[in-house]
Amino acid sequence: MISKYVEEGSTYAGDIDQLILWILVITGFWFMLALGVFIGLIVKYTAKPGVKAKYVSGEDPKEKRWVTWPHYATLLFDVVILIAAVRVWTHVKIEQPPIDETVRVVAQQWAWTFVHAGPDGKLDTDDDIRLVDEMHVEMGKTYGFELSSRDVLHSFSVPVFRLKQDAIPGRIIKGWFKPTLLGQFDIQCTEICGIGHALMPGRIYVEDHDTHQAWLKAASPVAAVGSAPAPATGGTK
Amino acid sequence: MRIALPLLALTALACHRPDGATPVISGKEMFRACTACHGEHGEGNATIQAPAIAGLPDWYVESQITKFRTGVRGAHPDDYEGLRMRPMSRQMMNPAEIHSVVHYVSHDLKPVKGAKLVKDGDATAGAASYATCIACHGVKGEGNLATKAPPLAQLPDWYMLAQLQKFKKGIRGANPNDVTGNTMRAMSAVLVDEQAMKNVIAHIGTLNP
Repeated sequence: MISKYVEEGSTYAGDIDQLILWILVITGFWFMLALGVFIGLIVKYTAKPGVKAKYVSGEDPKEKRWVTWPHYATLLFDVVILIAAVRVWTHVKIEQPPIDETVRVVAQQWAWTFVHAGPDGKLDTDDDIRLVDEMHVEMGKTYGFELSSRDVLHSFSVPVFRLKQDAIPGRIIKGWFKPTLLGQFDIQCTEICGIGHALMPGRIYVEDHDTHQAWLKAASPVAAVGSAPAPATGGTK
Repeated sequence: MRIALPLLALTALACHRPDGATPVISGKEMFRACTACHGEHGEGNATIQAPAIAGLPDWYVESQITKFRTGVRGAHPDDYEGLRMRPMSRQMMNPAEIHSVVHYVSHDLKPVKGAKLVKDGDATAGAASYATCIACHGVKGEGNLATKAPPLAQLPDWYMLAQLQKFKKGIRGANPNDVTGNTMRAMSAVLVDEQAMKNVIAHIGTLNP
């Protein structure tokens, strides 16, 4: 439903959108109802000449219902939201499907470095492709990422994937995504990381198989020997 | 909707300057974004590897800002400090803003002589190596606009060491569009190791343009 209005670019983007929609519907319904009751009671019990205000001690169960029933409803719907959220969380953050390829994501003030595996599909080999602020992936492949930070807290966020993961100095945090939409999309840092925080956007290129293979060949430092020079870095954006 | 559109049009009209001019933020104002790293007076901060920039020639400051903005410098994955400067250089939105901040740094800020932080350099041994640098940087390290070589005598010693190492490793000066950087990268080969770099830096420390 939300995908009509906002692009969903990964396999789990729809699950997260669905969860947010449910939370919106549940909280929105109760918010509107509570507001209606609140305004209704204000109107009903507006001060009238000759009518003395009544002191409500809260001991009469009939009067307490106005508090206890919403309380039980809140608890019940909290549990409903919790169960739905844990299901999505488990799918996105705990379970990991078989990984086709791994990309290393290194955050720093104020840039992203992406280490791609290169044509051999393996990291830490001579054909690895390191780019600044630029990441290339193939649509339909499941990617694992290894996220680290060179300095302070950052957060790796690809809004179109509904992916957001904090980067913590000294730790390598693993995650995954499977792109389902061709195109160029934003990468952003969503953790205040210093004066240049707003100035560290990156770009992810989701390509079809042929385009991605052509890019791998052109960008790999090994493949480029003797032919056109490989770009040492990405972004001149 | 009937009210929203005219309101929007009125708001847009209020933002428009009738003379069509683009407001230019003063250099001093622009420089406030730089003070977090380079210091209030452009004196630099060795702890975070931000060099002193006060009083450097305007042509040099402008050329480096342009290089950072276009990714010619500071775009290598291993250039940690350069990658930090790169986005900051893009805060200036147009040539007029670049010019105003460059003018402020070069002409309104006074050069600051920082403490010597690079130890164990042999100035006598460095003098011999420096003979290679004279053609571009001048006998007294005063710099040369014609060769686009900065005044080394004004640069902090720790910064020169860091840059020499970057040139040697190809972290700086490897971009095909960095003409002066390419030259400097080739020249850095003359200095065989870190000790040779320290020696030439020690010699530069004795120069007084």
